Amino acid sequence: MIPAAFFSWLADRLNVFATVFLGIFVEAVPYLLLGTLASGLVEVFTDRDQIARWVSKRPAASSITGAMMGIIFPVCECGVVPLTRRLFKKGLPLSAGISFLLAAPVLNPIVLFSAASAFGWADMLFWRFFLSLIIAVTVGLVFSVEKDSSNVLKTVFDSHEHEHSYKDKSVTEKIRQALLITVDEFFDMGRYLVLGATLAAGLQTFVSQSTLLAIGSGPILSVLIMLLLAVLLSICSTVDSFVALGFVGTFSFGSILSFLVFGPMVDIKSVMMYAQVFKRRAVIYIIAIPFMMSLLAGLLFNYLGK
Amino acid sequence: MSHRMARSFQGLILLGLCIFFASKAINGQLTWYINARFIPLTLFGILFLAILAQTVFAEVRRSRAEDEDNEEHEHHHDHEHSPAGLWAMLIPLLIGVLIPPRPLDSSAFTSKGFNTNAPLVSAESSAQLFETESEERNILDWLKLFNYNDNVTQFSGQTASVIGFVYFDETLGENQFYVSRFVVSCCAADGFAIAMPVQWNDLSSLEQDAWVQVKGTIEAIVIDDRNVPLIVAESVQEVPAPERPYLFP
Repeated sequence: MIPAAFFSWLADRLNVFATVFLGIFVEAVPYLLLGTLASGLVEVFTDRDQIARWVSKRPAASSITGAMMGIIFPVCECGVVPLTRRLFKKGLPLSAGISFLLAAPVLNPIVLFSAASAFGWADMLFWRFFLSLIIAVTVGLVFSVEKDSSNVLKTVFDSHEHEHSYKDKSVTEKIRQALLITVDEFFDMGRYLVLGATLAAGLQTFVSQSTLLAIGSGPILSVLIMLLLAVLLSICSTVDSFVALGFVGTFSFGSILSFLVFGPMVDIKSVMMYAQVFKRRAVIYIIAIPFMMSLLAGLLFNYLGK
Repeated sequence: MSHRMARSFQGLILLGLCIFFASKAINGQLTWYINARFIPLTLFGILFLAILAQTVFAEVRRSRAEDEDNEEHEHHHDHEHSPAGLWAMLIPLLIGVLIPPRPLDSSAFTSKGFNTNAPLVSAESSAQLFETESEERNILDWLKLFNYNDNVTQFSGQTASVIGFVYFDETLGENQFYVSRFVVSCCAADGFAIAMPVQWNDLSSLEQDAWVQVKGTIEAIVIDDRNVPLIVAESVQEVPAPERPYLFP
């Protein structure tokens, strides 16, 4: 006989899981739709050479341009992955694309205003945007060494293959095509959102956050805990500042900063989506370099005062 | 799965998601999952999902008509459909429909924990709380006040009237319970519980997780080296669960 207490325990766990899962899902779907719509519009309204012409081939210039592109395409981490994949297809250099992928969720007007309303126009805001830029450009530069994009990308886009021409089509026909692409990408990326939300909700249901926070004191451990939390919580970059506010007072400036810099670049759902676009070794670099740089930044702030 | 079948399936899931979100918007349960200020974004999502579903269904009709016109017509399969991707998008619908909806309550405390202090705000926003009538303050307001003021005895004797759910905790004294509320900044994933201890003689009439309105006077006490507002209750009344179960900072 299974005791009744077990069933009530199970019902309780299931309730927490379902509520947290749907919380992430309901919150993320509109952003994912916007990102995939942007991707669909880019596909039908730009042609291959156009994007390549905008972006310099020189590594440093290309990485910086990529990192700043979030200002034109205000997407967060759910939407940025399908859009980046599309831009690669349209001939965007690898380094620019990687920098865009990492920087866009933070370096865009929507996130800027959301972070400013949480922290005010203060130090935290400046350092968050500055560090995100530095890290994104650094990772972009690392990837600029790789000349053969087939070592990095899962699908290599040949310039002659699979190039539909939308040029001669009417605007309504173009929009119809863009919407169909939006649907395909929404399903393509959506399953990784579902998988990521499932994992995040599962961890929140069974792993005690209070124990995590309780051991999170000390200059090194606090940064590590906040980095771990950034990955586990998987919150959208447009709102993570409000969540980070919850840790002010309990956690040091450095550890909260590392949370705000690392979270938008790497969390459970975005890693799931990266794995769809990039080969495994590339995904490891995309996670490891920002992790080490955010950790280093957090430690520097903790030790050099702030 | 044939191209057209996959398309129809996509259309059905998009429509399903659209209806699911719309039903949550209509019955007010969206605020069980997200902060109310993101509701406009969800409404946009509902509209856009409807447009996408309509586009997909139109495409299915078009492709069928094309086939009927020309039996030998060869299809260009320009998009590979992976059935796995389609099935995965059913999961949120299944979770939403099969698991009875319930906002976060004390059962989430074991993993999410709860707080008797409110680190959630910048100091400036607590300044205006001095001007609010003491009975108008919610649990979060009280905890903010106690968090950002050194002299908390100034609040002693003020009248309080707060709504929250009941939580019994062994660490509290006799005839005491917590009145608690979840605070959600973005979505339920970041929700965390805050609580105020209540002094009340008739605990036996209360049930865990029942929604109550507590009226009484504030007394400053110390729990774990922190100043915490305790309500010495004059009345504890069961109330229906509020339409918005969480507090939005």
